[in-house]
Amino acid sequence: MPDQTPTSIIKARDLHKCYWVGTMPFPALHGINLDIEPGEFTVLAGRSGSGKSTLLNLIGALESADNGSVEVLGENILAMGRDQRTRFRLQNIGFVFQAYNLIRVFSARENVAYVCQLQGKGRKKSMEIADHWLHEVEIGHLGYRRPDQLSGGQQQRVAVARALASEPKIILADEPTANLDSMTGRRLIHLMQDLNRRLGTTFLISSHDPDVKQAAGRLIKLADGQIVDAWDNIPKPPIAPASACPVENLPLTKRLRNYLREARKKALNKRGHKMNEDQH
Amino acid sequence: MAETGHLGLLTYLALATRNLSRNHRRTLITLLTMIFGISTLTLLSALNDGWLNQMKTNFILSYTGHLQIHAKGFEASQNLRDRITEPGEVSRLMQSYPEIIGWTQRIRTSGLASAGAGSAGIQIMATDPEQETWVTSMNQRVKEGGWLRPGMTRDLLLGRIVAQNLGAELGDRVILMAQRLNGEMVSEVFHLHGILETGAPQIDRTLALITLNSAQHWLQMGQTVTDIVIRADIHDNTDVLYRLFTQQLSGLKYEIMPWQELDPMVKQWLEFSDAYGLVILFVVIILVLAEILNTMLISLHERQKELGVIVAIGTKRKQIFLMLLLEAVMLIFLGAILGYLAGSLLVYSLADSGIDLTRFANAFEFFYMDPVIHPQLTRNSAMKILGATLAAALLAGIYPAWKATRLSLSQALRIQ
Repeated sequence: MPDQTPTSIIKARDLHKCYWVGTMPFPALHGINLDIEPGEFTVLAGRSGSGKSTLLNLIGALESADNGSVEVLGENILAMGRDQRTRFRLQNIGFVFQAYNLIRVFSARENVAYVCQLQGKGRKKSMEIADHWLHEVEIGHLGYRRPDQLSGGQQQRVAVARALASEPKIILADEPTANLDSMTGRRLIHLMQDLNRRLGTTFLISSHDPDVKQAAGRLIKLADGQIVDAWDNIPKPPIAPASACPVENLPLTKRLRNYLREARKKALNKRGHKMNEDQH
Repeated sequence: MAETGHLGLLTYLALATRNLSRNHRRTLITLLTMIFGISTLTLLSALNDGWLNQMKTNFILSYTGHLQIHAKGFEASQNLRDRITEPGEVSRLMQSYPEIIGWTQRIRTSGLASAGAGSAGIQIMATDPEQETWVTSMNQRVKEGGWLRPGMTRDLLLGRIVAQNLGAELGDRVILMAQRLNGEMVSEVFHLHGILETGAPQIDRTLALITLNSAQHWLQMGQTVTDIVIRADIHDNTDVLYRLFTQQLSGLKYEIMPWQELDPMVKQWLEFSDAYGLVILFVVIILVLAEILNTMLISLHERQKELGVIVAIGTKRKQIFLMLLLEAVMLIFLGAILGYLAGSLLVYSLADSGIDLTRFANAFEFFYMDPVIHPQLTRNSAMKILGATLAAALLAGIYPAWKATRLSLSQALRIQ
């Protein structure tokens, strides 16, 4: 990994982070060095507890490190005060969380417009921006629904739209497909890849989903708080194409049929695999 | 770095309203508790104000008027030498103030009354019978016989208890004995024309009422008097008139006394009642505050993750503080307004009929109280209730709002 890249949008050096439960230390990161260039679609992979989320939180100025430095867009975010970090996040970083984390009492468009209002844009303008991004993520017709009236995939699309609405340079996504079924997850990755290509927004995604890893422009593997491996431009077998109509928008009977078809396919595969093993 | 903007009021209001309605059952229970507390507080305040006002009115109308003007030192000495020598000088001022609806001149002195069965120490009060009816309601308190008329020079009225003690009945001869200006003791025979019951035992036990003319003649006072008693149109104008007369009659000749100073016991009792009202207000507000605080803290606990996300995506801590504070203020104000309306309805429904406490009338008679209390809403009480509610809202809102700003982002985001 290069020591210093002049074009790095994210630059982490010798990052250490340890959590304490009472007097028990739980080391999360141990000397991480990382450079991400603008426009990259990077995936942080690794088992649960490997430090992926902690690294994302440090880069996202959500937590403080015990040691080391993080420069994002040339700014040392660990040296910033609390309010400075908040402003920095608002202007430069979009977040997509595993559990969608939308504001429950707001509709989809209000959720997206909220960040624009935080940036000081007027309510009307913010709503226009929200409508635009909801269309971009293919749920423009669901803008008036509240999160509890949307499926998981739709909620995560709202979260992506919210992350993009502030026009950030970087989007940090923490296990964005973990709560989605595989087909919806694939559609979401496809969408994020597409946005990455079209808008040039840098995506840093933590995930252990094989589909996400497949889509990565660069894959960084973490184990026990350290980077153990990294691949650039890994060969990407095409991920399953997204259908023109997102599955969550299909009528219930169709969705049920799809689900049953998938389940049947899985069961047959499993049985076939077992039979092969038995024959051997 | 670009500066972040402010969230519009509409966004704050939308967030607060929707967050309050997301657990509508809890909000409803909190509101009902508040409505019960504030309406009870309103009713208690109205009862307190109602009977305090009755007490004031009874006290003022039974004897003292709103304001008395004496010659300097008379109230302390009660000596006829300390008299108003030129009552016309003061009386001329009475026409100038529209706040005055009546005034009368009096002579007050202590003396002795004797009738067939015995004798008793008394307070002799001489007044103009016609003018007196504009100042006090004594003429309506005649239980037996009749009220005095101008020109009655040998008639008197006695308080109910003093008449009982003397064993005097209507038409009986009553001999009054008093001291003239020059210190000479003189006595005069009067006929009992009526018996008064003012409702204040300390008056009924000592009062002997005669006409001003007869007293001036008998005690050789000429046209001089000891008191000029004034009635204002409303109680609150007492202070206005007090200031006006103090300015007009400044100097060494006169002392001007509002009703509160004429009977310190009544004043103390009114102050005690005010304090008692404040204690009730304080207790109810503390209960309301505890309820709101509890609701807000539970709500905060449930929304930790959401608040963490809101901060993560760029909401400033002071904006979080305002969001939660507004929620508490909205909840408490809605409860306060509904509670005050419910309390007001209760008060209006009881205003005419009043609350009948006749069974306890003996306990109240010392304090000029009527046995039926009519609750009364006053602006002062409304301001106190709403002011205390606002203070409670801020107190109940500030702590959870402050706590929300101390939220650990990393912990909040890890909540499943």
